[in-house]
Amino acid sequence: MDISSLIDSLHPLEVKVLSTFVSNPSAVLQTEQLAQSSGLEPSQLSMAVEWLLAKSLLAVDTEVVTPMVSLTKVGEQYVEKHSPIERVLAAAREAATTGKRLTIQDIQSREGLEPAEVSGAIGRLKKEGALLIIQGGCLESTGRPSPTAEAIRGLLQQVHEMPREMQTFSDAQRQIIQDHAVKRGNAKEPFRIDDRVARSLKLSAAGMEAAQQLSKQGVLEEVSQLTTELLKDGSWRTKRFRKYTISLRAPRIAPGKKHPYREFLDTVKTKLVSMGFQEMRGPLVETEFWNMDALFMPQFHPARDIHDVYFVKEPKQATSIAEPFLSRVAQAHQDGGATGSTGWNYPFDVARARRLVLRSQGTAVSAHTLAAQPAVPGKYFSIARCFRYDQVDATHATDFFQVEGIVLGEDINFRTLLGLLNLFAREVAQAKEVKFLPAYFPFTEPSVEMHVRHPKLGWMELGGAGLFRSEVTLPLGVTVPVIAWGLGLDRMAMVALGIHDIRELFTDNLDLIRSTKGAL
Amino acid sequence: MPTITIFKQDLEGLLAGPGEARQPMTLEQIEDSLMLVKGELKGQNPDTGELRIELQDSNRPDLWCCEGIARQIRVKRQGSLPKYGFLSTKPQSPKQLNVTPGLEKVRPFVAACTATGYRVTKDGLAQLIQTQEKLAEMFGRKRRTVSIGLYRLAAIEFPVTYDLVKPDEAAFTPLGMDTVMTLGEMLLVHPKGLEFGGILAGQDRLPFLCDAKGRALSFPPIINSREVGEVRVGDDALFVEVTGTDLSMVVLTLNIFAANLADRGAVIEPIEVRYPYKTDLGETVMTPQDLGRSRTLPVHTIEQALGQTLGVHEVAKALVAYGYEVTTEAEQVTVTLPLYRQDLMHAMDVVEDVAISRGYADFLPVMPSQFTVGGLSRIEDFSDRVRALMVGMGFQEIISNILGSPQDLRDAMRLEGTEWGQLVEVDNVMSLNFSALRQWMLPSLLRVEAASNRAFYPHRIFEAGEVARPDSAQALGSRTVMVLGGMIAHADAHFSEIHSCLDTLFYYVGQAYSLEPVQHPSFLAGRAGSILSEGKRVGVIGELHPEVLERWQISVPAVAFEIDLTQLAERP
Repeated sequence: MDISSLIDSLHPLEVKVLSTFVSNPSAVLQTEQLAQSSGLEPSQLSMAVEWLLAKSLLAVDTEVVTPMVSLTKVGEQYVEKHSPIERVLAAAREAATTGKRLTIQDIQSREGLEPAEVSGAIGRLKKEGALLIIQGGCLESTGRPSPTAEAIRGLLQQVHEMPREMQTFSDAQRQIIQDHAVKRGNAKEPFRIDDRVARSLKLSAAGMEAAQQLSKQGVLEEVSQLTTELLKDGSWRTKRFRKYTISLRAPRIAPGKKHPYREFLDTVKTKLVSMGFQEMRGPLVETEFWNMDALFMPQFHPARDIHDVYFVKEPKQATSIAEPFLSRVAQAHQDGGATGSTGWNYPFDVARARRLVLRSQGTAVSAHTLAAQPAVPGKYFSIARCFRYDQVDATHATDFFQVEGIVLGEDINFRTLLGLLNLFAREVAQAKEVKFLPAYFPFTEPSVEMHVRHPKLGWMELGGAGLFRSEVTLPLGVTVPVIAWGLGLDRMAMVALGIHDIRELFTDNLDLIRSTKGAL
Repeated sequence: MPTITIFKQDLEGLLAGPGEARQPMTLEQIEDSLMLVKGELKGQNPDTGELRIELQDSNRPDLWCCEGIARQIRVKRQGSLPKYGFLSTKPQSPKQLNVTPGLEKVRPFVAACTATGYRVTKDGLAQLIQTQEKLAEMFGRKRRTVSIGLYRLAAIEFPVTYDLVKPDEAAFTPLGMDTVMTLGEMLLVHPKGLEFGGILAGQDRLPFLCDAKGRALSFPPIINSREVGEVRVGDDALFVEVTGTDLSMVVLTLNIFAANLADRGAVIEPIEVRYPYKTDLGETVMTPQDLGRSRTLPVHTIEQALGQTLGVHEVAKALVAYGYEVTTEAEQVTVTLPLYRQDLMHAMDVVEDVAISRGYADFLPVMPSQFTVGGLSRIEDFSDRVRALMVGMGFQEIISNILGSPQDLRDAMRLEGTEWGQLVEVDNVMSLNFSALRQWMLPSLLRVEAASNRAFYPHRIFEAGEVARPDSAQALGSRTVMVLGGMIAHADAHFSEIHSCLDTLFYYVGQAYSLEPVQHPSFLAGRAGSILSEGKRVGVIGELHPEVLERWQISVPAVAFEIDLTQLAERP
């Protein structure tokens, strides 16, 4: 790293420390001197010094280790309440004047001392001849003084004021201090001996160069943030802006955005509108009439079973169904009516037609449109929520979107139907290869299933379509041919969104919704 | 749409015809040929030759078996369907089946024939049984309108009687049992009696088939006699009967069986059914019988529907190669369906068969050329604008099921017994989780919040979508309404935060609103408001009630609003 980029990378604290050397680059400074001239807090200073040492801009000149004595928390308590040895001795002396017997247990309970503290004190006093243990475990003062007890009192007072260098004490005192200093496994002692490291520091060759450079460019104050104040008074000119490590990972944000599946459907919607389709809508709750009868599904059709459609609990039936559609559709079912059909040849049940169901197919929306005097020529689509009586699993959802619609026109026939499907294949699935297979839907004849070669998925079924039967269109008042089409887009959506379970299209996992990218 | 199992070697044998050498087919060839029958190969086992095929057309029960599939392919290959001899040759003294008075009120119709000279093979028996089951189940509406019985002819003496007896008047050992039981007992204990007994509910006399010696054949539509009614591999003389409630369906079903057995090499002998009451086909009915009605249609109709000029000759050729009988005259064709079909309801049904017979690939796609203007509905357009605004305010869109549980939609929202808690509920509930339509959006948002406590905060989510609200003034008993729900959840979520969003939203959609305090159980009292616009309530806003959050096991505060987009969008 060259010297100027090295300087750019310095933290403001480091700059401060280096700057103290600017007037005398070869100075050797004590830590205290550095603290004074840099004006840094001890913790800041030690951080900055460590960083500079690590960067080899600073070097240690000398290092002096001085053992220092200070009081522990226990020691501070002893200053006020006396040490165990003093208290044991005082208790023994008091017992001698009153003539009472004093046991070890008495002292322990009266003074609230730990057994280890008591036994330690007694041992020391006995050795010094200040105490005797007589028969029955009683303590008796000999009246002789205890040098330790007296020395500890003195030392506690001396060290209590402020930590002192170990050297300033006599040998005897040092011995006592050492005996009563915290060591490993023995924390309840009054004294602590610490090493104080006094370092003197100087600049390395690189450090000198950096200091020189710093003094040359003048020390601009470094700031981390451009502020309104800096801009208003123009003082940004005298500041240096700390450089960032821009390779760090950016903090996360959660943007506002569309749901990825909804975005997919929006794209389909836009494509359909661009192809000239008008959107149509219908209710979630439908009559069996519009959901099935109008689509020429006989009332005994297996797909109208209680196991295929959700029925509404209350009310169970619609109050009315618009005429003349009801009568005409009923007639078409019974004997074909005026549709040129033989009909299904069974008695049509009007009560059944009025039964309420949850819309089970988007084609119900198309049926409403046919009955509402649609434009001819006309193109319509809906993206309708439908409900199917299915066990929910990875490939079956109980409610789902159906993309479907109709095309009306004098020029509609089997070949224009195939042409329209070709257009869907190209526009919606970006597929160039298309295969048409015969299919069956109760409401169309002829019927087609469209398979396309998707650029990513290979051959897949894209949708079904057909020409509405006359039994559907004529009772609803439409006399031109009508294409009915439906697209199965869920598989495409799932691949585009990278999911394998259809339930995940409606996932409740916000993390997943946030992190999924758009599709199509 | 039934899915059936057939065997490749059986299909190949039937394609060749009885006694002819079969030509092995590749799977691709089979899949190609299946276009003729709207079939799709769903699976296969190369070791056994087993093929699983789904047949789409619910109006073509003749195709739900190996014989029918083979026939349709064979006809196309040969260019026409050879006439079945048994339709034209009336036996001198036909075998008879007598119907007992009273059956017209129970199960009025029966059709029957015999089939001899075909030794039943393993594959053949499997098809007979599968066809019997699929036709009775799906075409015969679970045996209600049609059920089928197969018997060993050798054990039967004619005339056979289709009788009507009291439940304890007749007894035999049914299939699947080894003791003699009365018909009444069979209804009570036999598995088939339990499954299909409902068809005869309320009848004090029951259908019973027996032969001239009074020997039991079966108890239609429940179960056959074990003695006479169990066909085995190696049998070469069969008796087939069909009973039901719809004469043309009964005859069609027998026709299918007769054609199937004839295709396997059997000689079919018709049986004369004698009714004591009138039927559409008279009182004495020979079965099988061709019920095909001819239909005349101009070639122009077909060409117009297909968008292709073909000419009368090509149309006739295509139909004959699909099994029709066709006569032509100038610019029109008169067509009759083969005996195993009755699905010609409309001229368009003929049109599709022309297209299938020629192959869909034969028709060149043409783009519809007429100009139309595309566009969105007013509500969708409005909803899209609102969604864009929500996204702009930093909300993540979600999508949810509209079907939910009353527990989530009402109870967890503290709305039991309130106007806000009224739901459109499902009658035939499969799972409580999917038993009611959502009446508002907030439970959908809470569902996501409850599942997402690991997603980093703040959470700002919304959904625009449909809900259903009970409304007795509507013919449907409910209204579908598009609503918008928005919610913010994080440790310091506050009323004013969501209020700002609502305020911004109304500003940009160009409408005025005001808030009026409301006592809504889902929100904290004093921190909830009705959203009023042009004097109408169009929504609600507030801090979610802690008890609601607790019931959803959500441990951060949440604030939310919901507005009725349908009402706002309708304004000029």
